[in-house]
Amino acid sequence: MSAAVADANLTLRYPDMGTGPVPTDIYWRPEFYTREIDAIYRRSWLCIGRVEQVAKVGDFFIKKIPTFNLGILVARGKDQRVRAFHNVCQHRGNHIELKSSGNCTRFTCPFHGWTYDLTGKLAGVPDSDAFYDLDRAALALPPVTLDLWEGFIFVNLADAPSQSLVDFLGEQGSDLVGYPFDKGTAVFEYEGKIKTNWKCMVDSFVETYHVPVLHRHSVTDTLAGPDNPFGRLIDVRIKGPHRTASVVGNLNYQPNPVQGLAFKHAPGPSITSGATDEATILPKGLNQTRAPNWSIDVAVFFPNWLIVMGSGMYFTHQMWPLSSNEVIWQMRGFLRPATNAAQRFGQENAMVELRDAVLEDANTLERIQASLDQGLLREFVFHDHELALRHQYHVVSDWVREYEQSAAR
Amino acid sequence: MANKKRLPRGFAKLECLVDEWVLPNSQARSEKRFSTSPEELRTFYNTMLEHAEKALASLQKCQLGELSSEQETLLKLMLSLAEVGPAVEWYGEVQATDSFDSRRFPLSVQMSDSAAQVRAS
Repeated sequence: MSAAVADANLTLRYPDMGTGPVPTDIYWRPEFYTREIDAIYRRSWLCIGRVEQVAKVGDFFIKKIPTFNLGILVARGKDQRVRAFHNVCQHRGNHIELKSSGNCTRFTCPFHGWTYDLTGKLAGVPDSDAFYDLDRAALALPPVTLDLWEGFIFVNLADAPSQSLVDFLGEQGSDLVGYPFDKGTAVFEYEGKIKTNWKCMVDSFVETYHVPVLHRHSVTDTLAGPDNPFGRLIDVRIKGPHRTASVVGNLNYQPNPVQGLAFKHAPGPSITSGATDEATILPKGLNQTRAPNWSIDVAVFFPNWLIVMGSGMYFTHQMWPLSSNEVIWQMRGFLRPATNAAQRFGQENAMVELRDAVLEDANTLERIQASLDQGLLREFVFHDHELALRHQYHVVSDWVREYEQSAAR
Repeated sequence: MANKKRLPRGFAKLECLVDEWVLPNSQARSEKRFSTSPEELRTFYNTMLEHAEKALASLQKCQLGELSSEQETLLKLMLSLAEVGPAVEWYGEVQATDSFDSRRFPLSVQMSDSAAQVRAS
């Protein structure tokens, strides 16, 4: 075993995690689903985009939150501040903006023509004299609590969030400050509905024990390699409700012909290459053990957002639960921009390889869920390097229990 | 217009691929790959690979946002090769044996094939 692949006993570093089997109830019981949505999704900070999506004054976009059937309207005001609102006209409740993104000076309701400025203030009411005692100040677009971290836009749907974003992110946020997120300006996204519990989907991307088997035809040779036959991780770190796995890269990987041309011409090393860009200065929290055979980190931002970071590109997974066994899955890639046309070829191959690799994961998730829903798997038995999965079980269980206890008081 | 040259000088042997493999965007290329037989994918791959280094050397000199129609056509052929690559090199099939149905996971945001890309300030 290569020296930089951790020996067993990552789990023992975190005595609260235990080592025994974990009950599966929270991954399939429909009654638990409503409890976790109330305790977690209505109370934690959720990433909904990046500042580049609202680069100029008047830029706006709408982020759909499938879990709540909501569209959050995000806009940059003349004061340069980025704000979020519920996309709901305060007259009769129609959606105020129907386009998914654009630029404007004010929002106009397509129903009766009420208008709102970029701060959400009610700006115009046609035939306003015919209303009785119109209280314009009270009829602003309902604001949604918003804050920024490293250019990512987060919202919190609670009326009064119990934690600031910086406190909520804690070390997971502070340790990743300085990663060149803003360089990933070439963006693509895939989206689909998967018949699985959102937590199973989070788990599937944060262990690599499955890589040498499930991904044997694709990324096994780059992300595990001959020195790491069981797909061990370099490290797993727990930071509050968040967790990060550091993944091995095979420095001796010899690419296939087209793949090799793509690697050579990509604007930065792709996630599937196993390679790194020496010029990128890594923040403390990325490859935190500074292993020489590192390729990527998978950082889970509780509850539903993962950033997979290499030194040359990154991508995110986001899981929006719809029920105990259905999730909207969004995978968004952030590549360094291409200048010449050969680099565009490198980008396309990086995107396609990533998609092909994750398509290998999803059937498994639907089969796991079928087994869980049929009551045929009552406990999960976790490998030492599946520590992140064990951690998610504890965090979700704790958040629900603590929220319900505080609500009962 | 079948007799008109649609590719830059030196790539005449790829003209026969243009009608089938020059497609509007990434999603269309994905759909094309997943609806083509492994044998046809390999034929396309083999023909393209023979000219790929030369094509990339040529495309490397072309700035995105400033491509001629012929250069853009060559780039789009190469983007189809980028899509087909893993089918041949990883799977020897259209997709992995147990692949999730790609139609259930389509692109919702696409990169432009040929427009200039924004650089970070």
